[in-house]
Amino acid sequence: MTEQQMITIINDALVEEFELDADEMQPELSIYDDLGLDSLDTVDMVIVLEGAFKFKIREEAEIKEIRTLGDIHEFVKRKLAAEVN
Amino acid sequence: MNNEQLKIIAMNVWVYGLLLLLTIVGILLTPTVGFYFFLRYGWDTPRVIRHIIWLYGKGWLAIISPFVSFERQGLDDADVPDNCIFVINHLSFFDTYFMGALPQSDITFAVRSWPFKMFWYRLFMQLANYLEVEDSSWQQTLIKGNSVLKQGGAVLFFPEGHRSRSGKIQRFYSGAFHLALQSGCPVVPLCITGTDQLLPPDRRSLRPATVMLKILPVVEVKDYQHEGGHRQLRKDVKAMMVKELEQMLAGDSEGR
Repeated sequence: MTEQQMITIINDALVEEFELDADEMQPELSIYDDLGLDSLDTVDMVIVLEGAFKFKIREEAEIKEIRTLGDIHEFVKRKLAAEVN
Repeated sequence: MNNEQLKIIAMNVWVYGLLLLLTIVGILLTPTVGFYFFLRYGWDTPRVIRHIIWLYGKGWLAIISPFVSFERQGLDDADVPDNCIFVINHLSFFDTYFMGALPQSDITFAVRSWPFKMFWYRLFMQLANYLEVEDSSWQQTLIKGNSVLKQGGAVLFFPEGHRSRSGKIQRFYSGAFHLALQSGCPVVPLCITGTDQLLPPDRRSLRPATVMLKILPVVEVKDYQHEGGHRQLRKDVKAMMVKELEQMLAGDSEGR
């Protein structure tokens, strides 16, 4: 899977789950201030990402540090790389 | 100035004038009336205040009646559970006032922080134990909501979070549906139309309107008690409401 494919999967999953505008999915956007997610949505976000990538991340402390869409991309990228290794 | 403009001016003078009067009289009479409800029914303060707010909503319905055609449809009073979670679409500041048309008065509203800034309502909202969802954590909101439901009351959410400026239903947040699954209480979807004609966001002047409030069938939550069930419940309830709103609006436009 290329990085762009991974980003597309993440963005599509979030767009579908949270009814976001696909054209506005820029990595620098805050998931709270710009995308309008709340703390309960982050729980759903974890479930969605686990479903999309078939991994378990709900216990990961790093999840709490995610602030932007780009942070999600980087987090998933690291997680996938760690699984391959 | 034509007749339509005169009617709008008359409506605004009438509605805002009488609403101001109702508010002042309501504030002055609340201690006496509240004490009466306490003696008569043995209710605690939040329950008493919620009943008074419901009566205030009924006063609103009477005030607007010369200019607003209002109709409640859907479930009969007896079929609406007292102990439930209402979810409703949000079009106008005045949506909440129409909740005086619901059969029960023990309704705790989940609201954002800005309504608490209206000093004339703030004390009532605080005494009624309304859930302030913006400045509280969701954990706190769910604990308070569960407490209301355990006492037999209902909680009302605007799952869109804020008023729709396009008239179209927006994305739903999950809080109401988490609370439904935690408490085991059913969800009762409500659909309202026409309040965006009465007073849309960003306008202060009222206009005559036809307002419809429909109480949709009760959604039991037992089939959603699994991991991620709140997400499915949220999607199913929203789908019901979208479909119903389309039919209501189609019927409304045919009637014009």
